[in-house]
Amino acid sequence: MPEKVISVNELVKSYSDITAVNGISFSINKGEVFSLLGPNGAGKTTTVEILEGVRNRTSGDVAVLGEDPEMSKTLIFKLGILPQDFSFIYNSTPREALNFYKGTLKASGDVGEILEMVELTDKATTPFQKLSGGQKQKLGLALSLVNDPEILFLDEPTSGLDPRARRNIWSVIKTLKGRGKSILLTTHYLEEAELLADRVAIMNKGKIVDSGTPMEIVERHHEEDNLIIRGDGQVESLMAAGGYKFQREGAYIKVGLKSIREATEIINYLYERKANFEDFTLKRESLEDVFVRMVGEIGEEDEAE
Amino acid sequence: MKLSRVSAYFVLHAKSYMRSRSALFFQIAFPIILILLFGAIFSGSSYSPTSLVIQNESPSAASWGVIGAINDSGLFKVQILPESQNLSQYIDAHSVQAALLVPANFTENLYGGGTGVLVLKGHTNPTVASADYETLNGILTQINFKVSNTSQRLVLSSQVALGNTGKTIDYYVPGLIGFTVLSTMFNMVYTVPNYRRERLFRQLSFSGLTKSEWITANMMFSFLMLVVSDIILVVIGIYAFGASLTLNVETILVSAVIIFGGLFFFTSVGILAGLVSDNEETVSVVGNLVMFPMMFLSGVFFPLSFAPAYLVTISKFLPLTYFINSLISVLDYGNISSVSIQIVYLLIGSAIIFAIAVRLFSWKQK
Ligand SMILES: Nc1ncnc2c1ncn2[C@@H]1O[C@H](COP(=O)(O)OP(=O)(O)OP(=O)(O)O)[C@@H](O)[C@H]1O
Ligand SMILES: [Mg+2]
Repeated sequence: MPEKVISVNELVKSYSDITAVNGISFSINKGEVFSLLGPNGAGKTTTVEILEGVRNRTSGDVAVLGEDPEMSKTLIFKLGILPQDFSFIYNSTPREALNFYKGTLKASGDVGEILEMVELTDKATTPFQKLSGGQKQKLGLALSLVNDPEILFLDEPTSGLDPRARRNIWSVIKTLKGRGKSILLTTHYLEEAELLADRVAIMNKGKIVDSGTPMEIVERHHEEDNLIIRGDGQVESLMAAGGYKFQREGAYIKVGLKSIREATEIINYLYERKANFEDFTLKRESLEDVFVRMVGEIGEEDEAE
Repeated sequence: MKLSRVSAYFVLHAKSYMRSRSALFFQIAFPIILILLFGAIFSGSSYSPTSLVIQNESPSAASWGVIGAINDSGLFKVQILPESQNLSQYIDAHSVQAALLVPANFTENLYGGGTGVLVLKGHTNPTVASADYETLNGILTQINFKVSNTSQRLVLSSQVALGNTGKTIDYYVPGLIGFTVLSTMFNMVYTVPNYRRERLFRQLSFSGLTKSEWITANMMFSFLMLVVSDIILVVIGIYAFGASLTLNVETILVSAVIIFGGLFFFTSVGILAGLVSDNEETVSVVGNLVMFPMMFLSGVFFPLSFAPAYLVTISKFLPLTYFINSLISVLDYGNISSVSIQIVYLLIGSAIIFAIAVRLFSWKQK
């Protein structure tokens, strides 16, 4: 049995007008990157904040490193937190902020090294208000690392970052995973979850609608794979002669596949008959396709009720 | 409460504060401008009441002689109050700033070879009263010289704190110190809603900092700034406008305690005010609602002698009044013992408000 660092059981959080989290259960193992995915308002941030001890829950059980975050006064020292809407004292510089965290958390980490890690060294003495959105976000991540935490809560760590900065954050997260940190990551970027997360849970309207490894989820929910061939009318007639069902989409011919093996058969068939196809690709549904469809379907069901 | 965390936040706060020019301006330059302004307007001048109510409970040639001399001096418009009326009630009812009582035993004492004591009563602006005191004393000294050349037998005692000088600037220096302490309240009135909106308290809590550590660090920094700006105030008051203050180790230490008590009090009030205001407009409304009545009614800027009686009564219930009166007693008159109980009240009151503010001041999200 892997060691559980976080366990959540039948967690509910109601505000006066809505139930933001409606009876969810999951657990996170030590050293695991666990990702909460879900559309806006799904209840991700609410869940994360309850685990951080920032918000009180309505009902259900929560344990973080064996403690109840609502009660514990010392848990905060073992957590690294990057909130979704990170902000800091507008006149403080990243270096001052990091030194402050170092002082309060009695951490031994090197401020210069952390700045280096998130690529903020050249902005170390710029007041917070003069940092760009992405630079602010990087400072938030840097602050969450000061105490060398056992668990990291990263609520949309890469939103608002340019593609290069995003990759940099990804590599930081990978490094942290390599050091055995447990990470709870929420994101809207499905590729990010696919790339970084060991397991994901898809949340919608306060409920977890599915969870597992990204692969498992795609397996469970994907529609058929497609073979996409770029070719002319001659290819089309060969395909028709061979009895394959297909659709033309512009310059492409799209063939639905019963299995991946079928793709090799078709390519062989065309190759032997010297068909004029320029190239082909195999298209599997990504986590994103599955996600959009799942969340969409659930939304429609709800509306139909 | 961990000192290491308090000092870590103190450093963070101090650095960001120093970077803000407007904050520095209000902390240091504003009090200086005020004292220069008040100093220029009032230095050297002193109020002279147009009328002096006198009640003679000891009618005799001697007592009426003294009253006549006071009247003849031309410095007061003497108004005699019949014995049948109660002087204290009359003072309250008519907001009399200074009244002289010739006590029943006056003549007897004087003729018996003792000292004739006159009592100056009033509950008003000490500056005005002390100006009266000085003037009356001057007249009495002259009478004494006429009566006998050897010993002083007429003595004026007073029932309000009176000093040896009547210069208005003496009164404004402690008053402006009071004002600097009062204005620290605004730090909290603005910071609390702003930090809440930006969710900075949540972010600070991630560093392990607690709210009482946050408040403590803020107060320590404000205290340091107050010490700096108040020293500047006192120095300008003394050297530019000739204020005469009683400065020695004791009065300075006691003043520091009073300033700290006031800071403690107004910081707590500021937190409470900050908690009720959730956006920028309400912040200034709430801030001004708390600040202006106190500022005007405490007599820092306007002597209350011109105010109607009910305002004088209200002012007695304002903490700032006690706070400033304590500072005046200590700094102007070197009178520590008479304010020690007030200081204790100030500290107890502050501790109560502080406890309420800390309780209501939650760093958690709902
Ligand atoms: N303080 C609050 N009071 C009332 N309702 C709230 C409060 N905070 C959040 N909500 C509601 O709870 C629901 C879940 O919000 P939450 O922030 O957890 O969503 P999320 O999944 O993080 O969304 P996003 O992807 O946009 O960040 C939303 O409908 C939101 O309006
Ligand atoms: Mg969110």
